[in-house]
Amino acid sequence: MRKIVIGLLVLFCLQACSAVKEYEKIAINDPDMKLSARTSERFETTFQVYREASAGANGGKTGGGCGCN
Amino acid sequence: MKRIAFILFLFSIFSGIAQEKEATEVGFKKRVLETTEVDFLSSYYQQDGIHSAVSGGSGTENLTDVTAAIVVAMPLSDDEILTADVGISAYSSASSSNINPFDTQNPTPWQSSSGASQSDQLATLALSYSASSDDRNTIWNAHISASKEYDYSSLGFGGGITKEFNDKNTELSLSASAYLDTWKPIYPKELQDFKDNGDNLSGGIFNYFTITGNTAYNPAQFTFHQDKNRNSYSVSLSLSQIITKKLQLSVFLDILQQQGLLSTPYQRVYFKDINPSFINDFQLANDIERLPDSRFKLPIGARLHYYINERMVLRTYYRFYSDNWGIQSHTANIELPVKISSKFTVFPMYRYYIQTASDYFAPINTHLSTEKYYTSDYDLSSFDANQYGFGINYTDIFTNAKVWKLGLKNIDFRYNHYDRSDGLKADIISLGIKFIMQ
Repeated sequence: MRKIVIGLLVLFCLQACSAVKEYEKIAINDPDMKLSARTSERFETTFQVYREASAGANGGKTGGGCGCN
Repeated sequence: MKRIAFILFLFSIFSGIAQEKEATEVGFKKRVLETTEVDFLSSYYQQDGIHSAVSGGSGTENLTDVTAAIVVAMPLSDDEILTADVGISAYSSASSSNINPFDTQNPTPWQSSSGASQSDQLATLALSYSASSDDRNTIWNAHISASKEYDYSSLGFGGGITKEFNDKNTELSLSASAYLDTWKPIYPKELQDFKDNGDNLSGGIFNYFTITGNTAYNPAQFTFHQDKNRNSYSVSLSLSQIITKKLQLSVFLDILQQQGLLSTPYQRVYFKDINPSFINDFQLANDIERLPDSRFKLPIGARLHYYINERMVLRTYYRFYSDNWGIQSHTANIELPVKISSKFTVFPMYRYYIQTASDYFAPINTHLSTEKYYTSDYDLSSFDANQYGFGINYTDIFTNAKVWKLGLKNIDFRYNHYDRSDGLKADIISLGIKFIMQ
């Protein structure tokens, strides 16, 4: 856990690097590059929330709304 | 160490904000959503296993679920979007049917009974609103939601803000949500009848069946839940960063606190220090699952997506989770979308999950009656799970196919198989169809 947190902090400190311009974002704007789960993935997330003890940290619903774990 | 790491994490976020360039005067303003979009979503899920929590950690976990949802996103103005999400699901479960297994002459945890708890329906409704600033660098959002099934209802609400800066290379989001839920508890039939008859065996199912094993069945430890509320409060923080022209990363942090009735009222527990009692093959409960009335959860996850070339993208996800019930878990996903033509993409995917057991979990006939908290729900046990599958996506950017005024934008099909190390297996098929209004 400690190594993971430190690694992520280092990555974010690298944001001082030069910004990618809008006209250079052809690859970044590809639909498969979107930084979120696919819409059709929500039902898999639902059963994982029921069948596993953990939830959250994926940009979506964090918990509550069901009697699940 | 955790506090220092969290403070450094916040520092890195605010150092990014310091790089924000002054916005130039807004000229042309693109609509945040050009036209109404409609998503039709559906799934079929089926599972089976041998550790039903309803029968104390041993029994069939056979279950099927069919779900359908419609999501409509409507532009209210150049800057605003209203989204309505309506869903319904219907499940049929051999496990939950055994809340009352005494509808048959030969009750057993390995077959479903014909009782009303065999199936249920869940209806959900969510409305969300978002508004963007003229320069599109700030987005506010708010949502409300409600859901209802026979023994559970939920009311949720929340809001958040998203800021983009650094030439939209960096995005920071902060949101908060609350879910105010209420149980309508259903208890195992033998415990319900025992209490209804004044803590004795002189009525209900006990008039129709003979108890074997320990004939002095006396679950005096069982009491009805007084507090039936379950409230969940969360704060979520996410930071997305474009690293290079082909690489971008996001990190998600949630802080979640739950209060109230956090156990499941119809999940049985059997004590090692009490001789077992049976009706036919079905062991009668000593008590129901008892868990603490508060739970603190801390998941942190990250997505890293890399554009390999014009044909392939690599999508990865990792999450670490920890809570104060003793559970820690790791989740890792990998997906590889491959464009096989201008319209079709196939994507194999794999997910690995591993968790430690809750402090309150023990298998069937292991807990002692002197313990304060206990569960034999294998969803809270230690296990690992492999999930693998594939997806196919069809996209038509010109929306040549039309249904009434709706142009077909894309179709997403997914199949996954899920294998848990305790014997639970599941399969899920999902279908999503997106239309745009023309």
